[in-house]
Amino acid sequence: MKQVSIVNTLFQTLRSTVILAAMLLLPAAIFAQADTAKKDAPEAKEEPSLITPSAEFTGIQKPGDSVQLKAVLKAKVKGSFIKLPLLKVKFLQVIDTATKELGFVITDQTGKAIFNLKVDPKTADKDGKLHFKAVFAGNKSMESAEEELAVKRASLEITAVKEDSVLNAKIKLVDLAKDTPIKGTVVGIFVHRSFSLLKIGEGTTDENGEATVEVPNNLPGDAKGNVILVAKLDENETFGNLEASVVQKWGTPVSDKLEDQPRALWSSHPPLWMLITFFILMGVVWGHYIVIVVQLFRLRKEEPHTADIANT
Amino acid sequence: MELNTYQQEAFNYQRPNIEKFGKKNLIWAIFFLAWIMVGAYALYLQISKGHVVTGMRDNVVWGLFIVNFIFFIGLSYAGAIIAGLLHLFKVPWGKPIIRLAQMMTVISVIVGPIFILLCVGRFDRLHHLFIYPRIQSPMTWDVLAIMTYFVGSVIFLYMALIKDFAVYRDAKLNIPGWKQKLYKILAIGYRGAASQKRHLIISQNLLAIIMIPLSIIVSSILSWIFGMTLRPGWHSTIFGPYFVLGALYSGCGVLIVAMWVYRKMYKLENYFTDRHFTNLGYCLMVLSAGYGYFTFSEYFTDWFGSAKWDSEVINKLFNPAQYGWWTLFANVVGILIPILIVAIPKTRKPSWIALASFFMVIALWVKRYLIIVPTLETPALPMEDTRIAYVKYSATWPEWALTFAGIATFLLFFTLMSKFVTVVPVSGLEEDHQHHAHHHEPVTIKTEEIQTA
Repeated sequence: MKQVSIVNTLFQTLRSTVILAAMLLLPAAIFAQADTAKKDAPEAKEEPSLITPSAEFTGIQKPGDSVQLKAVLKAKVKGSFIKLPLLKVKFLQVIDTATKELGFVITDQTGKAIFNLKVDPKTADKDGKLHFKAVFAGNKSMESAEEELAVKRASLEITAVKEDSVLNAKIKLVDLAKDTPIKGTVVGIFVHRSFSLLKIGEGTTDENGEATVEVPNNLPGDAKGNVILVAKLDENETFGNLEASVVQKWGTPVSDKLEDQPRALWSSHPPLWMLITFFILMGVVWGHYIVIVVQLFRLRKEEPHTADIANT
Repeated sequence: MELNTYQQEAFNYQRPNIEKFGKKNLIWAIFFLAWIMVGAYALYLQISKGHVVTGMRDNVVWGLFIVNFIFFIGLSYAGAIIAGLLHLFKVPWGKPIIRLAQMMTVISVIVGPIFILLCVGRFDRLHHLFIYPRIQSPMTWDVLAIMTYFVGSVIFLYMALIKDFAVYRDAKLNIPGWKQKLYKILAIGYRGAASQKRHLIISQNLLAIIMIPLSIIVSSILSWIFGMTLRPGWHSTIFGPYFVLGALYSGCGVLIVAMWVYRKMYKLENYFTDRHFTNLGYCLMVLSAGYGYFTFSEYFTDWFGSAKWDSEVINKLFNPAQYGWWTLFANVVGILIPILIVAIPKTRKPSWIALASFFMVIALWVKRYLIIVPTLETPALPMEDTRIAYVKYSATWPEWALTFAGIATFLLFFTLMSKFVTVVPVSGLEEDHQHHAHHHEPVTIKTEEIQTA
């Protein structure tokens, strides 16, 4: 019995000691936990993530083996796309396995970089395709971006033809790889206006790759009556974008000089009669004031002496 | 400076008024200053917080400030025309009231344009009016016209005061040295010599001739700010003469009220006689009839034409739920009652005429409000933001505080002026019922004589 009670006493003492130790160590444990959390905090802090830009890369084939390459850099920030200005975009041409650097352009305020070049037809691959690359190397806050483009060589021509007082724009579309006409393709005809192109019609190419679109005869032109007609093939699955233009004296001459505007409150000069009336009125009134002030000065000068007043 | 006995009497009678400020005047001046301080606080709020503290918004861009501007500037034009006519036609009974008219001219032309400055949102661009003036803009016409007019009215008042300044200078008044010196400077050595008289008369006549058409032109220019604008209720050919007549009418009313107040305050019954009230009452009646005719013509033309926007303004003006009661007040109290008060012999008394004039002046102020606000609340272009604060104008306390501060400034100037010069001009004054000034013996002012007076 005695042994049992000793064991019980020991057990109780041990239990009390454990509870006491646990109570004493609890704040330390809590603080230790807090410290750990604190310690972990800097580790949990993420590095600022780099902006991932995306590049839209397109090309427009123009007459005379010219190609206009256009890269637009943008990035999704806080759920919406923003244009990325003032970034260096390198343009390269891939010929077989080699890469030739063509040059670079700094993006404008709208994130656009446009590069014009004259291509060597020999640099096309066996399918007649030209391969280009637009590369943004990245910087401290942005990742790099790269986009490729393959353009199958084709030519679009536009000629202005007047037939029996009817004005026509004739177009011809040719696959340069095979040197065959491209048929059944819709080509739009536009005319240059002050701020953008105005579509005036479209035509579908026949078996000769040709189409004719009538041009209105009352288009306002420049001071000499010139209008710029533009033929455009947009986002064709095979040939991409093609564009050709011709200048023709088919417009109504519209002077670019400022003509006399009708009378308006915002006119820069008042009418002559108003100026004359204004200056006459002001002159008369202020003239009177001057005469009066002069009279007052004379009055002051003519102050009589006391003796004179006595005489009067 | 020589005065006849009647003039001497008039001077001796008014002499205490310019020698002592007086308790009553001091209390009044403190009261007016208190109002001006409240206005100054409102102005501080307006400058620090912007015009958002006023009731003016995108559509109703003009409110109490422009109403006050037109009201005060109108009083000024009226003062110049009345004083000019009385001077040129040498109306004998008119001499005692010329000074009041001229005081009203100058004080109003000082107070009026202050309201324009309060209305302008960008003080920092104020000088652009002079750097980039556009001769074809009615705003430019108004700025130049008011400046020209201000100079003219100050010279006009000053010239009328030269003789009196000479009287005050020679009278050895019991006043501080600075005031005495100031009288001496302002009298510019006038001693009443024949050549001096000639120069002064030529100048006064010349200025009176120019001030009358100038007031009419300047008042018309003010009206053209509205009349030249293609807005319903404003674009009217009669606005020029309408404003001239309105200005004359309200000016005549203020003159009568001022006469009544000074008559009571300084006991000037011998100078501001019943005859003055009756004569000015007749003028009031004629002007009232003319103003009524113009008002009727204006409303009738707009109503009969039934043009969309004109009709909308007319409907607002005559709808009791909108401005109907104010229109009624402006026309009954502003036109009909003054006619009746003067027309009925029993009420043709100074106090009645002054009372009718007082209310008529308030009614004409309301009329100016009715010209400006309902039109601005009827925009010809559709409103994009139709919040009630944008559609409907309602004046805020800073606007009212500044309005009362303007009135207090006007009254304070009158109080101060009446302590600097005699309200009834001394020199050139003729006895009302006899007007044979030459019968009186000329008297040279002597110190002893004045001390005994």
